[in-house]
Amino acid sequence: MPSPSGGFEVPLWRALAVFRLASLAYVCALAVRDADRYAHPYAVGALILLMIAWTGATAIGYARPTWRRWPLLLADLGVVMAIVLATPWVVGRTALTHGVPTLGVAWMAGPVLAWAVSGGRRRGTVAALLVAGADLATRERIGQSSFTGVILMLLAGVVVGHVARLAASAEERLQRAVELEAATRERERLARDIHDSVLQVLALVQRRGADLPGEAGELARLAGEQEVALRALIAGAGPAAASLPDGGEAVDLRTLLGRYASAAVALSAPATPVPLPRRVAGELAAATGAALDNVGRHAGGRAWVLIEDEGATVTVSIRDEGPGIPDGRLDEAAAQGRLGVTQSIRGRVADVGGTVRIMSAPEAGTEIELSVPR
Amino acid sequence: MTAANPIRVMVVDDHPMWREGVARDLTEAGFLVVATSGEGRQAIRVAAAARPDVVVLDLQLPDISGVEVILGLRAALPAVRVLMLSASGEQQSVLDAVKAGATGYLVKSTAPAEFLEAVHRTAAGDAVFTPGLAGLVLGEYRRLAAGPGRGSGPAGAAEPATPQLTERETEVLRLVAKGMSYKQIAQRLGLSHRTVQNHVQNTLGKLQLHNRVELTRYAIERGLDD
Repeated sequence: MPSPSGGFEVPLWRALAVFRLASLAYVCALAVRDADRYAHPYAVGALILLMIAWTGATAIGYARPTWRRWPLLLADLGVVMAIVLATPWVVGRTALTHGVPTLGVAWMAGPVLAWAVSGGRRRGTVAALLVAGADLATRERIGQSSFTGVILMLLAGVVVGHVARLAASAEERLQRAVELEAATRERERLARDIHDSVLQVLALVQRRGADLPGEAGELARLAGEQEVALRALIAGAGPAAASLPDGGEAVDLRTLLGRYASAAVALSAPATPVPLPRRVAGELAAATGAALDNVGRHAGGRAWVLIEDEGATVTVSIRDEGPGIPDGRLDEAAAQGRLGVTQSIRGRVADVGGTVRIMSAPEAGTEIELSVPR
Repeated sequence: MTAANPIRVMVVDDHPMWREGVARDLTEAGFLVVATSGEGRQAIRVAAAARPDVVVLDLQLPDISGVEVILGLRAALPAVRVLMLSASGEQQSVLDAVKAGATGYLVKSTAPAEFLEAVHRTAAGDAVFTPGLAGLVLGEYRRLAAGPGRGSGPAGAAEPATPQLTERETEVLRLVAKGMSYKQIAQRLGLSHRTVQNHVQNTLGKLQLHNRVELTRYAIERGLDD
């Protein structure tokens, strides 16, 4: 269902109102020409007044987004079908067989187009079939020209419905693009402001207070942590998502891992995006997070994370300078039924077709390398 | 460094509080702060007269880009060394600055002692790498190796030879990017401290040379088009 307030849809509704007016003028012209051949000329006059009134009512009704709903659409179809069905009586069978046109002519396509604009191809087709059915029911003989009329109406319903759908989706996309651009621009502005003011002061506080004893030193350390967090935040100002060569959605691994950067965790990465499918990037980030949690528990928290993009593979390394993992500790943990953090890291990376290498020596820290193929 | 022949330093940063703080630290540590500036163009003009050995440069200046400042400084004083001190995480600008000739990079939150040590090393001609910078340089070599088509020039045989890292250089750079000190790297690889230092230096040198070739080529192309 296209949005009711759609901007691209408005011209379509206006065009529809214009079409109805023009076709009404045509109906009136035909009525004046054939006035003396009608079986019930006054009834024809009354029906034409009704058609004028209904054309006005729909022009006003469809102009309001909130009125473009089922009640009006159904009423529109009902009124027009009723007028079409009344034709044989008011015009007269004899006149019809002698070539006097029906009252509906082009005007009866109005609800078909309205249905098509409001709901696309399918609705346009349904309305076209109903109106065409009513029109055919009024005819004595179904000739070549009646069929042409039906086909043209069906065609109009399908084509206009299709165009309305295209317009609606184009508008949605435009809307999203505009929002994204506004968000990006705002973010860049914020990043500039933060860089010019807050970051400078936080860095200064940390720098000057780092050697002070007691609480002042602690405050300086906190300021430093905030500086790193803010810097990571504004560094991620680029778009997080991009498209892969195969058309799938990709995320920049640098943005995902950026949230782990802190005063204790240094993140090194290329200057250009490292695009990976969302699922792969997500598992890699989760595995990195698990490894860093472990560093926090066993190795004092200081760690270095390196992202490398070698084209065919992407590698994330996490290194700490903690006590290392003693020989046999991993096997021991597994034997005791504790899966442990390495198991969860291996599981996640294996799930996306990657491999894990763990290098550790007592008192020489631990290095975990996660590699996934592209 | 002796009192008679101190290292001449210039501080370029648009944040006055920061500029003064850094200048004070440098003076207290025995450096001679020959000038300070808050703008890029002014810095280039002043540097020609003040003749600093080392320029401590913030990449984000109000008037011109960090790359333009570095090119200007090196044109005025070919021997000057540039140590970037940046508060921003704008990695592309750090990489561009290194390619333009900066030989060191630190984030502003670096402890004063480490910063002063870095100024000494920059003055001595050593490259000052953070793990972050090593990651950027490593990524740049891989981007260049991934092939043409991303540069500004026509693809194919006309490309100048892309710089490549030796296996050893890659190994060293990866370890720097993972936060290891030169001493730790020397121990792990069984090399001397000096050799590790040279390997790191070479990675920068090749990138800067390639960049100069590219810049010249770009200038010629533009000149011919005009």
